[in-house]
Amino acid sequence: MSDANTPSGTSDTQATPTTQQTHFGFKQVDKAQKASLVANVFDSVAAKYDVMNDLMSLGIHRLWKRYALDCSGVRAGHKVLDIAGGTGDLTAKFSRMVGPGGSVTLADINLSMLKVGRDKLRDKGLVGNIDYVQADAESLPFSDNSFDVVTMAFGLRNVTEKQNALNSIYRVLKPGGRLLVLEFSKPASQHLSKIYDIYSFHILPRMGQIVANDEESYRYLAESIRMHPDQETLKGMFEQAGFEQCDYTNLTGGIVALHRGYKF
Amino acid sequence: MPGSALLSAIAETAINRVLALDEDSQARLLPLNGKRLTLYIDQFPHALTLVFSQRVDVLTELLEHSELVAQLDENSCCIRTSLEVLPKLTQTSQLTQLIRQGELHLDGDLHIAQHTAALFGQLDIDPQEWLSHYTGDVIAHQAGQTLAGFKTQIANALARSRAGISNALTEEKPIGVGKLAVMHFNDEVDALRDDVQRFEARLNALNNEQ
Ligand SMILES: C[S@@+](CC[C@H](N)C(=O)[O-])C[C@H]1O[C@@H](n2cnc3c(N)ncnc32)[C@H](O)[C@@H]1O
Repeated sequence: MSDANTPSGTSDTQATPTTQQTHFGFKQVDKAQKASLVANVFDSVAAKYDVMNDLMSLGIHRLWKRYALDCSGVRAGHKVLDIAGGTGDLTAKFSRMVGPGGSVTLADINLSMLKVGRDKLRDKGLVGNIDYVQADAESLPFSDNSFDVVTMAFGLRNVTEKQNALNSIYRVLKPGGRLLVLEFSKPASQHLSKIYDIYSFHILPRMGQIVANDEESYRYLAESIRMHPDQETLKGMFEQAGFEQCDYTNLTGGIVALHRGYKF
Repeated sequence: MPGSALLSAIAETAINRVLALDEDSQARLLPLNGKRLTLYIDQFPHALTLVFSQRVDVLTELLEHSELVAQLDENSCCIRTSLEVLPKLTQTSQLTQLIRQGELHLDGDLHIAQHTAALFGQLDIDPQEWLSHYTGDVIAHQAGQTLAGFKTQIANALARSRAGISNALTEEKPIGVGKLAVMHFNDEVDALRDDVQRFEARLNALNNEQ
């Protein structure tokens, strides 16, 4: 696994911490603690992550990702960064879309997830144009203006300082490049919201318990989704980072939203 | 959820399953490695892009035709046509003729279109092999044999009945009509006769009134 070795000279615009506390699901924890708590969650779910994803979303996560791929505009020869890429679903597709002349960097803060991803992609015969980098989205170890497209699927809500991550991504994007963030969001209708609540807080943790023997991690998943900024707030954060032409598309009634922004 | 994502997912699964049934498709994919072909079909709201590697990935193309054509590079090809013409595309030899006739608009590298046509047009699938994925080799072999047996029987039966019919027609055998059918026919003629009589009576009545 090639570790990050090209830290850039430019520093991120650091968000000023207003408090030393942040949320981890519904709990309040020290900011310094959150990353390792998140790491524990993904260490714990890494092996069963793909199975659980299919099970929990009834396979719909594949369609959400597919829509993100369609909107990515990735072409042959592009340089793509899939940050918080985990087990590499998007990376696999990107690797074929950019072809031998392009490259994809699968970056994740968590080594266990990255290893599962690397093994999976190698088993699929995807070698040659993929780099694996352990990296924190808040301080990406890449030079300015390096990538044509950056994607972050279901990763942003786990990041302690989300604004830092968006700033950092903006920095590494090439002018003309685009960022796509796929993340759980706020359902548009109240009815859907109620059904979704029952599902997330009652059914999902049980499924986690039965299949992965890990109720806690899946309770964190449900809670972290509720604490994540809604569509309009996240759009505002994109704009604050400097992105232009920011918009979003609600998927499955707003359970998930795909946010898009360009760097010009 | 955009339905287009579901459609492209179904198309992608179907294409790769079918290609996997023909061992030779890997060889036909080779010249397409790293290339892409976008297909705009007049009757469809979205175009599809096929991305070739050792498999085929299908994307929904969100760009308009003119935007995409403006961005084409040497590894891409774009076809615009209508649904009726689609089946003809599997014949490599017809491509240039279709372009000349204006039934197909092609931008980019013609070879990509030709290799894609060959990829699908030259598919050679053995149903027995396909079945063996689901049932195991022995059952598939037996099913294949039974199927072949059925085919011969059906072919023989068809040949016999064709001969029988033509004999009956040429020799003008008297055609027996069932008793019930004759009775039904007689009833219908009676009913028609009654109707005509009633109609005639009304006509006469109308004439008398004038
Ligand atoms: C729910 S998984 C998503 C994986 C993959 N993108 C997908 O859609 O299947 C979230 C991932 O975010 C990673 N992650 C969490 N915090 C991160 C951070 N600060 N920087 C980079 N990755 C992070 C986790 O390790 C985990 O692999």
